[in-house]
Amino acid sequence: MRITIIFLVFLLISGKGFSQKKIEQEKRIKKQEVPELALEWLEDSFEGRKKVRWYLEISDQGISYEAKFPWNEKFHSVEFDSLGNIQDVEVEIQQQELEKDTESNILSFLQSEYSEFRIQRIQRQYSGNADDLEDFFDEGELERLTIRFEIEYIAKDRSGNQAFWEGLFDQNGNLISKREVEIRIMDNLIF
Amino acid sequence: MRRGIFFLLLLFLFAFSSFAQDQVFFTGFFPEAAITKKLSNGNKVNFKVENQEIIYRNFENPEDRWQFKHYRTDLMAFYDWKLSPLSSMALGLFYRIQDGSNSYRLIQQFAVLDRFRRFRMGHRFRLDQTFTPGETAEFRFRYRIALDVPLQGDEVDPGESYLVISTEPIFSLQDSELGLENRFVLTLGKLINSQQKIEYSVDYRTDGFFQEGFRTRLWAKIGYFYNF
Repeated sequence: MRITIIFLVFLLISGKGFSQKKIEQEKRIKKQEVPELALEWLEDSFEGRKKVRWYLEISDQGISYEAKFPWNEKFHSVEFDSLGNIQDVEVEIQQQELEKDTESNILSFLQSEYSEFRIQRIQRQYSGNADDLEDFFDEGELERLTIRFEIEYIAKDRSGNQAFWEGLFDQNGNLISKREVEIRIMDNLIF
Repeated sequence: MRRGIFFLLLLFLFAFSSFAQDQVFFTGFFPEAAITKKLSNGNKVNFKVENQEIIYRNFENPEDRWQFKHYRTDLMAFYDWKLSPLSSMALGLFYRIQDGSNSYRLIQQFAVLDRFRRFRMGHRFRLDQTFTPGETAEFRFRYRIALDVPLQGDEVDPGESYLVISTEPIFSLQDSELGLENRFVLTLGKLINSQQKIEYSVDYRTDGFFQEGFRTRLWAKIGYFYNF
């Protein structure tokens, strides 16, 4: 019994740190509904960016705000907490843009785990404190930031089961966590 | 949502008023309902009922034009195999109840989904063979491309609405005669909860491009969909 409780507590704690949140609802909102703090950070870090789309996300970890926009020809999404504090910035990249070692670590993980796989989307995720993140995006100064990779892929495991996954990898391409993502295909698009 | 339904209604009236007199035209009400059961192995079973009632037909005699006439009731059942998270293959059986010409149909199809940041695109390739007593078999090939656009955010969550725009050319062969039909459908849907959907559509069908007698059929659809 005690072991079970310890195990459960461990699971809860470790889950918080690693796992990506499960989004329950996401909706488009107007700029006016976004906390001032978030708007200011975005203004300072991405001066002159094009039109930003704002979203409110309700997940199992509470609410957050997300800004999505293209910047330097790359798709960016910036996440803020409920008060408007910057959480992380995700930048969509191509597989060729990964560092060779990182890429080979990721690929060797996928090869060892699955019999077949297809990478759908790669995002480089930057997190750290607000000032360091700002320095990186407006001055290109990469200091004290944590870099991770969020990768969406379709893969077939050894038992022949095919699924859609979202994996989180560290800067060197080692797996931190992964979860299966259910793609809701509307039946009306099939039948 | 209410504004959207109003818009669909206007579109319907517009299409209704713009048909040409010398072509066959009829319009009516088209309710449909479907249930889909997802099996533990990821495959799906689907049952669907469609009912078409003609309300107006452009007969010569004005007195004959307005009516409320049963046109067709279609019953169908599909078994759908999941091929990958984004594609599936299905076999279907179909039975049509239509005055004087009930028919059977076999259906084979492949469907695949393309995901984009703000919408999805569904492709469906379908072959079907229709058998009507007293007629030779009809063979058809259909391709439907459908755009599914969430109206709040980038994903449709429970309680949210979505738009589906689709077009489906249908090539048919019967008695060595080739036919072409197109179906254009504009749908406003609402995901009531994770299991139920309701959809309002305008379904605009044109056929007889090759043969004589260009025909237009315009339907006001209401659909209810249940998943479990």
